[in-house]
Amino acid sequence: MSAPSLPRLQHIIGSGVVAAVGIWVAYVSYTQQPAEAFLFPRLIASVFVVLALWTFAKACLGWTKVGTGITARQFTNLAPGLGVALVYIFWAAKGLGFYTATSIAFFILLSLYDPAPHGALKSWVKRVIITACFMAVMYGLFALLLKVYTPREVFF
Amino acid sequence: MEFLLYMGDVFTPINFGLLLLGTIGGLILGATPGLSPTMAVALLIPFTFQLEAAQGLILLGAAYTSTVAGGAVSAILLKIPGAPANIATTLDGHTMAQKGEGAKALQISFLASAVGGVFGVLLLIFLTPVLAQWALAFGPSHLFWLAILGVTVIGSLDSASVVKGLLSGCIGLWLATIGFDDIMGAQRFIFHPALGGGINIIAALIGLFAIPQVITMFAKGRRGDGAEVIAVQKHPISGAIRELLRNKRALGIGTATGSIIGLIPGVGGQIAGLVAYDQSKKFSPDREKFGTGHPEGVIAAESANNAMVGPSLVPLLTLSIPGSPTAAVLLGGLLIHGIFPGTDLFDNHPDVAWTFINSMLIGQVLMCIFGLYVAGLAARVAQVPQAVMAAIVLGLAVFGSYSVQSSMGDVYVMAALGVMMYFLERFGFSAAPLVLGLILGPIAEANFIQGSMIATATDGMAPYFFGGPLNILLIAVVIASILYSAWMELRSRRYTSKEEIIA
Amino acid sequence: MKKLLAGAAMALMGLTTSAVADGHANYPDRPIMMMVSYGAGGATDFQARIVTMTSGNEDALGMPIAILNKPGAGGRVGWNWLASQAEADGYTLGAYNIPHFIAQSIKGGVEYSRDSFEPIANWGADPAVLVVGKDSEFNTLQDVVDFAKANPGKLTTSGAGLFVGHHIAALQMEKAGDMKMAYIPTKGGGAAAMKAVIAGDVMAGINNLSDAFRAAEAGNVKILAVADLERNAFLPDVPTMMESGLDVDNSSVNFRGIMVPKGTPQGIIDKLAATVPAMFENKRVAGKMKAGGSPMHIMTRDEVLEMWAAREETLKELLAGL
Repeated sequence: MSAPSLPRLQHIIGSGVVAAVGIWVAYVSYTQQPAEAFLFPRLIASVFVVLALWTFAKACLGWTKVGTGITARQFTNLAPGLGVALVYIFWAAKGLGFYTATSIAFFILLSLYDPAPHGALKSWVKRVIITACFMAVMYGLFALLLKVYTPREVFF
Repeated sequence: MEFLLYMGDVFTPINFGLLLLGTIGGLILGATPGLSPTMAVALLIPFTFQLEAAQGLILLGAAYTSTVAGGAVSAILLKIPGAPANIATTLDGHTMAQKGEGAKALQISFLASAVGGVFGVLLLIFLTPVLAQWALAFGPSHLFWLAILGVTVIGSLDSASVVKGLLSGCIGLWLATIGFDDIMGAQRFIFHPALGGGINIIAALIGLFAIPQVITMFAKGRRGDGAEVIAVQKHPISGAIRELLRNKRALGIGTATGSIIGLIPGVGGQIAGLVAYDQSKKFSPDREKFGTGHPEGVIAAESANNAMVGPSLVPLLTLSIPGSPTAAVLLGGLLIHGIFPGTDLFDNHPDVAWTFINSMLIGQVLMCIFGLYVAGLAARVAQVPQAVMAAIVLGLAVFGSYSVQSSMGDVYVMAALGVMMYFLERFGFSAAPLVLGLILGPIAEANFIQGSMIATATDGMAPYFFGGPLNILLIAVVIASILYSAWMELRSRRYTSKEEIIA
Repeated sequence: MKKLLAGAAMALMGLTTSAVADGHANYPDRPIMMMVSYGAGGATDFQARIVTMTSGNEDALGMPIAILNKPGAGGRVGWNWLASQAEADGYTLGAYNIPHFIAQSIKGGVEYSRDSFEPIANWGADPAVLVVGKDSEFNTLQDVVDFAKANPGKLTTSGAGLFVGHHIAALQMEKAGDMKMAYIPTKGGGAAAMKAVIAGDVMAGINNLSDAFRAAEAGNVKILAVADLERNAFLPDVPTMMESGLDVDNSSVNFRGIMVPKGTPQGIIDKLAATVPAMFENKRVAGKMKAGGSPMHIMTRDEVLEMWAAREETLKELLAGL
């Protein structure tokens, strides 16, 4: 096994974050009041910290057996999609209204990941049609059938 | 045999029409991410205001039955479990769909659901008085041990690494403590306002299962790495029936576990599917095939979660105590017609009681027929191109998690948990133990606190938690389960190391 | 991004001001949402669904009211949401439970107080009752009091949580009888507390009259006393606690009604306060409530304001020692 390979470094960072969260949870559980309300969290946090530190130690020593990590290729592939998804969920859905935001995000994601050529008009028409169909189904299901009142800011 | 007298009432044109409506509507609602059976039944309550008591209950009973089974559809095709009951179904069901065996997975899931469901309703019909006593036997100390028993499943649910499985479980248990503590009302770990209400389990389920799925599809990139077009295999229904008969053990374990655990108020419905899955895995000679698209896993999980439907109504119908949130909603459906569950129901309104129970029996069969009919069609979902699928699942996840409580906070929690889970999965953690921790944490905590309060007021902690045959039995099962997992782990470790030496 | 959000907020406020200008004549022009801070199927949820079922009628609001459940921590989750996150535009109503939310706000740790909400109208009053299992050796309130006095802190008594009506009733009983009980709050509301009594997990329980009435009809429990000023029409044979010699008044009676978050336009509050009590008086509503064993008690906005203020005072006094 080649020394500090990419997956190994990733495992160290990943399990390090988990261990840090565990330590934070334990710290909060043992310091916050009222103590009665934190009895159960203390129990969990103790086991959590032990297991997390064990995993972290294993990752540092390169003994991790499961988990493939993320290759650079996968990361560049997923980054734009994840970016669009996060903007969509954390801002656009509320800021632009659910149906507007979903249509836009849906269309952008199709354009980014659908293998049909970007040059041909036909593939763009197809994307618009798919988006429209999906939105019609969502509107029918959630707005008409289930009567969920979603945030509406722009258009509908 | 009294129920046979009222069988005819189910088949009057209006009643049967409502039964069909409830079944088909239930399947659609159940397959919609974010709509748990409880929500689906609550949504239908206003319609029953206009109907007679028996008719209203037919609609609700049919909807309850088929939403539980409908949840399997999104679990298998989209990897979004509709309710905790369907988590175990995703483990093998979705892997089967990815292999192009979606039609087969759906068919066996509906058949297993129907077998489990019919058995559960028959238990309700014949053994109600006995079951009522059994349901009451579980006090806080027993429910606590039962939750712990559920936790022991965590280690063996994730076969890749026991330590990481347990760690995932701990993360889940911790996530469950976020929000207001239920008994004291103290605030715990609320580091963002969206967490004020705690983590909603349905929103968490959607995030933890659906979002990693979406990101994985993104990671494959625009062209897709390698062959992406899945050939969806046609599968004859007779083949599915044969498959079901071949796996009598899983079917038996699923049905039995589902009907026994489903009976216990408050805990049952949530974990019946997972416990049944775990048990059939332990008893199966092909245990290493579980999780890789093995029909046995689907059969165990689905027969269990529908077997739970009948018994889960026992405490409601006999003692007037709703044992599950869905039962509580059904109670409302009875009360608006001035019918009180309990002796009053069976003595003074037998027509209502038996028509309702019969409609669930017939509903199971109808649900199965419709399910089988659409299975082949629905399985074509697997052929939808990656890019479209990712966008659809993302959209459904957002709308589904919002609709649970009309809350943007739930959508944020869903997305945050989902993205976190994607990265955790890359490092060998898995979602199922995490979710189990999330479900069992509150049950274990509440019953521990309640039990210890009763214990300190009465005979003390040790006799209360360790005394009595039921406590001892549960503790014995917990210990056996841990020992079994440890033994299996050691044995498999010896195997792998031997293989490593050869390699 | 902040600017954009602020812009959107401004636009929204612009919309509301224009609505003020026309005196809310069109209110409501879309369906209304009502938050219930308990789970689907609970007593509050059940009653809320019944009393709002006629709101779509022309003589009521003309628009349906949809129920939204935000359960958790004895109602704190839902009321926190209503006080701090809900939009005060008249399309978000909330169901209140007195004394629960006032007691919780006195105890602290929540984001609301009596001043965070504006009442619209009250629909029901559900007194707390003392129940014991059907095979219990206790047959009167006096038996229970005698046991509690002889065995301080040994009488396990279940109720739906801390600082809810049931807990208030238990505190009042302890104070009036100069005794110590072991109050066991359950998670999962009145149903779980009732299960504990029926199954014999606890020796006694304090529960809603409506739930206890059903359990008693089914032959599972005995109701020993009502914590109210007078006997209840549903249970004419059950004495009040005062009759049985325990000085417990009606502070624990669970009043349920509709409120809106503070900041809701006055025009909308007035319109709701005028129409909602009449909506509760609808014959179909009364019929369904009676069938379900839920006592009704309709009060107007002014009466509720007075009741809230009075409750806050007695609760402050009662909870001062805790």
